[in-house]
Amino acid sequence: MTATVLVVDDDAALQRVLRLALKALGYEVVAATTGATGLSEAALHSPDAIVLDLGLPDLGGVEVCRRVREWSDVPIIVLSADGSEQSKVEALDLGADDYVTKPFSMSELQARLRVALRRSRATSTAEASSVSVGPLELDLLAHEVRMRGRPVELTKREFQILSFLALHAGKVCTHKMLLDAVWGVGYGASSRYLREYAYRLRRKLGDEDGRLLTSRPGIGYQLVAPPDGDGA
Amino acid sequence: MAALSAAMFALRPQLSIATVALVLVIPVVVGVVAGGAAAGAVAVLGGFLVYDVGFIPPYGTLAVGSSQNWVALGVYVVVVVLLGRVTSNLTRAQADARQRQVDAEQLFQMSELLVGGRPLRELLPVVASTLREAFGFEGVVVLLPEGDDLVVAAAAGRPLSSEEVASIRPAGGVRTALSGADGAGGPFSVILQVAGRPVGVLGAVGGWLDPHRAQLLSTFANQTAVALERAALREEALRAQVLEEVDGFRQALLGAVSHDLRTPLATIKASASALRDRAMPLSADDAGELLALIEGQSDRLSRMVSNLLDLSRVRAGALELKREPVSPRALVTDALGLLSPPAGAVVLEGLDGLPAVDVDAGLVSEAVVNLIDNAMRYAPAEAAVRVVGALRESTVSLSVVDRGPGIAEGLAGRLLEGPQTGRGNGPGASGLGLVIARAFVEANGGVIRLEHEPGGGTRATIELGAYEPGGVVATDEEQ
Repeated sequence: MTATVLVVDDDAALQRVLRLALKALGYEVVAATTGATGLSEAALHSPDAIVLDLGLPDLGGVEVCRRVREWSDVPIIVLSADGSEQSKVEALDLGADDYVTKPFSMSELQARLRVALRRSRATSTAEASSVSVGPLELDLLAHEVRMRGRPVELTKREFQILSFLALHAGKVCTHKMLLDAVWGVGYGASSRYLREYAYRLRRKLGDEDGRLLTSRPGIGYQLVAPPDGDGA
Repeated sequence: MAALSAAMFALRPQLSIATVALVLVIPVVVGVVAGGAAAGAVAVLGGFLVYDVGFIPPYGTLAVGSSQNWVALGVYVVVVVLLGRVTSNLTRAQADARQRQVDAEQLFQMSELLVGGRPLRELLPVVASTLREAFGFEGVVVLLPEGDDLVVAAAAGRPLSSEEVASIRPAGGVRTALSGADGAGGPFSVILQVAGRPVGVLGAVGGWLDPHRAQLLSTFANQTAVALERAALREEALRAQVLEEVDGFRQALLGAVSHDLRTPLATIKASASALRDRAMPLSADDAGELLALIEGQSDRLSRMVSNLLDLSRVRAGALELKREPVSPRALVTDALGLLSPPAGAVVLEGLDGLPAVDVDAGLVSEAVVNLIDNAMRYAPAEAAVRVVGALRESTVSLSVVDRGPGIAEGLAGRLLEGPQTGRGNGPGASGLGLVIARAFVEANGGVIRLEHEPGGGTRATIELGAYEPGGVVATDEEQ
């Protein structure tokens, strides 16, 4: 089954490249140049993923993201041109799955797209009391974690963080999302705690190079099955 | 008095002693009124002598004959002395009133000056010279704190020697009273303070102060202090505002530059990486198109870089314009040559028969490029962008009209002011092109306007004065 990707970008040249390259990679491509047409195309074609530029002439990518999330769980990858982290975080908090900063290589976009598409398939099948991400398995009821079949001892907080990331595997979870989910909204915990916990988790999981639990500096964390682990 | 005495002397037998006394009051009063207290005293003494010697028997001596005459002389002296005093007081009171009126006027003028909202730099010299004129000092200085020191911020009249300045400086602590208030010459100094906090020192030399003038000087000093404080505060606020604006513009420009440079780079990198990826099965046609995109976007990038350089030169006033009469059509044709839009994407109207404009053709066609590029970005693919020429009186206008989503109410003005980095609902493209277009057009003495096009879309208009000496340039310069 070929996946359909909706590309929403106001720059005609980039639009053209993405269309050519994604087609060559075997995706069906639908294009839109404004936020408004992007929304209607999304409703019309029910794409499997959306590649969304944050700087659009009419609505703005963040707003498009918010409106799509009102009725669809389709993976969204945002393209951001400004280096500022704020709009990316905003989009991620509103439900975008991942981001790519311009300029980007096609292989980078392709990798993100593949992860995002896998997430959407995973969440649509697993009604989970257990979750697995690559070599990692979590039993959510028994609070048990296995890495490559070996049990791993985690504290309560560590388990909370890991299970939140696992349930959103493939999505970049912002610091705020994680802090709100684990410590509670308005608790005011700092992203420094997260760095500490990410360090401990990686050590316990034998993932010192951060290929499973990847960090996006200044933005958040993402749990993603390493490419070699599942033969993608 | 001599004339009166001579006249009365002739009539002496007919006049009573009392009448003479009454008449002799006149010169005394005149003397006091005209000459003040000293002249009055002389008049009183003279009157007494004339009366006694000339009119009180025995004549020719100071002796007073009868007791009745003693009474007459006594009454005359008492009346004259009293009258002299009263009149002299009256005159002094009048002079005082006049002085107070002058003081009030001076104070009023000074306060006018001080509340005028002038910047500190202008205010200080005016304060110094007004003070010098009003009080008749030889020299006046205003000392303001700079770092830990007090320095001369303004001076009027004779420059003060460094010793004099040093003597004006407060030795330590805050002296609220006027120093050197008694006597003449000075130097005098008074601390300018607001709410007990010293803000500077006023100093003066070569004049005199009495308590009244000293009080006036203090009043003046208080007003000056408040005005200085206010001016300083206002300047600080202004500076903060300017800094904020400059900072805001720089931030916006930086954001816009980053956005507008990354956009072509994104296409270039994505195309190149796709071409390099062996796993990506691209057809020869696709590969060719990607290469063409790389080339086109590289041109766009390099044009943007030179636009930005020119923008900074224009803003710094460092760009030398190469003005020449050029036909509006040539400007548009040049612009289209740089942009090479797809066939039918841009339609030209009303460009023939327009008079030439005297501009730097390179800059203005870049402005046109930016407007067309902007319009094409927003216009729906099926509706062409129109470039419309027109002549009204001696103004040539070139309008770029698109059928895009139009500009939000109130944004049009801001778009021309500076790049907008609005996130969320803001326009995606930064509008740097508009800022560049505006700078280039204004450098050529033109005007640029952004309007909502009736029926939907945006109209960006460049207005330039028609080139006068040459008159109408023979229509087309087709290339």
